[in-house]
Amino acid sequence: MLGAIAALSESVHFIGAFDPKIRTFDIIMKTANGSSYNSYIVRGSEGVCIMDTVKKEFSESFFQRLELLCDYDEITYIVLHHLEPDHSGALEELMLRAPQAKLIISGRAVMMLKGIIKTDVPFEIANTGKIISLGNKTIEFLSTPFLHWPDTMSSYLHEEKILFSGDVFGSHYYDERLFDDEVGDFGYAFKYYYDHIMRPFKKYVLQALKLYEPFDIDIIAPLHGPILRSNPQFYINKYAQWSSEEKFRKYEFGNKMLSVFYMSSYDNTHHMAQKITQGADSIDGVVASMYDLASLDERNMIDLLEESDAVIIGSPTINGDAVKPAWDLLACMAYLESGGKIGASFGSFGWTGEAPEMLHDRMRWLKFRLPVEPMKIKLIPTEDELDRCSNFGKEVAEITMGKMVEMEI
Amino acid sequence: MVSVFLEDDNIKVKVPAGTTMKEVALKSGASMEFGCRVGDCATCAVHVKSGMLLLSDKQDKEVKALEIIGGNLSEIRLMCQCSVRYEEGEIVISYGL
Repeated sequence: MLGAIAALSESVHFIGAFDPKIRTFDIIMKTANGSSYNSYIVRGSEGVCIMDTVKKEFSESFFQRLELLCDYDEITYIVLHHLEPDHSGALEELMLRAPQAKLIISGRAVMMLKGIIKTDVPFEIANTGKIISLGNKTIEFLSTPFLHWPDTMSSYLHEEKILFSGDVFGSHYYDERLFDDEVGDFGYAFKYYYDHIMRPFKKYVLQALKLYEPFDIDIIAPLHGPILRSNPQFYINKYAQWSSEEKFRKYEFGNKMLSVFYMSSYDNTHHMAQKITQGADSIDGVVASMYDLASLDERNMIDLLEESDAVIIGSPTINGDAVKPAWDLLACMAYLESGGKIGASFGSFGWTGEAPEMLHDRMRWLKFRLPVEPMKIKLIPTEDELDRCSNFGKEVAEITMGKMVEMEI
Repeated sequence: MVSVFLEDDNIKVKVPAGTTMKEVALKSGASMEFGCRVGDCATCAVHVKSGMLLLSDKQDKEVKALEIIGGNLSEIRLMCQCSVRYEEGEIVISYGL
């Protein structure tokens, strides 16, 4: 059963595919009632444009819908708003069936194209401001990188006032009624999608919203879930609000927040954490707090990490590794922007003491700024060593407050 | 030694001639974004506010990647594709293009 051929307007139709059975998307996201891979066809007086394709396994229904609305030799353009496989799965086959069509991708998609289609295919690059014409229809491109792939772009169909937003404003929510004013309550899916896909890229969300601002938008056509036509501004406002939320401490007091997360086997790493926290908290403008990782659940970890301007993690070394809750904490960074946060690590150890360096390395890959070397102390810290911990906390706090870091390499 | 000032992170690094800018960013704990690290994706494109002449010449690969992202090419470099080529001077880098 093919189901809906939904019309967004007289010249724009949905030709995507429904996936009601999917329960986990991209390995990490739960999809309680499935999802959809949205693609669209735009017909103009002098050509047809296909906006994105679908996941490869769903190619058949995509081509069936497409064939109901156009012949392959009518297609003049194929636009891929980003090249993730759930939208580029039918691209190679579509280009074989419509070899005359020009493929339009963003500049950053060029390096990925060869990973998706193993042969050389012709393409045109679209940066912000590029316009293509289908005779009586005009499509303008907008570069909206990192939402959520580096190559993501959006496009705007002037005559119909439709924004093709890529994954922005998407939901993993299956409902063949398709339009937001007809489907069930997808609010939870819209927020869940934002939290898992867009939250790490808040600054890029805000850049994209600014780019959309001059356009009068009647319909938002995302790549997953309901098409948003009842009140597009409502969804734009939600994204703006979620991406601009002031940090609690900053909002209220204007301070920088420094969090010391730790676990301790014999209280040694705990004592280090206390001194580091005290040292950091003595610096004007910094509010330092310490948290025992043994008692934090994932939700709290995510919120605390997001609030923190600086994150210091302490772990003893057990069997040559940091303890699992420390790794769990860092795994939460997948949901957050990390670039620019100050990071540091420490720990007491008995034999080998790799944990602080291992955490330091992991934080580097997560794009923390790591201006100080990890601090390690053999078993029970002496008074002198505890003073060093205090100075370590002070140093991190001063850098958090803007002290210049000077070094030679 | 050449001084490289990473403005967004307030980090000043002194390096000898021959040091790659990728090394500067990674060893100093800078927060800038890297992607492929081989000059294809242009994720590590930065604004060189001063000291452009202290950096190695652009090779074809970098020119091609920079043309794709557009902008004022005379002030943009890929951190993964250039190195410091003199012994004295100051380079100022900003991450925002």
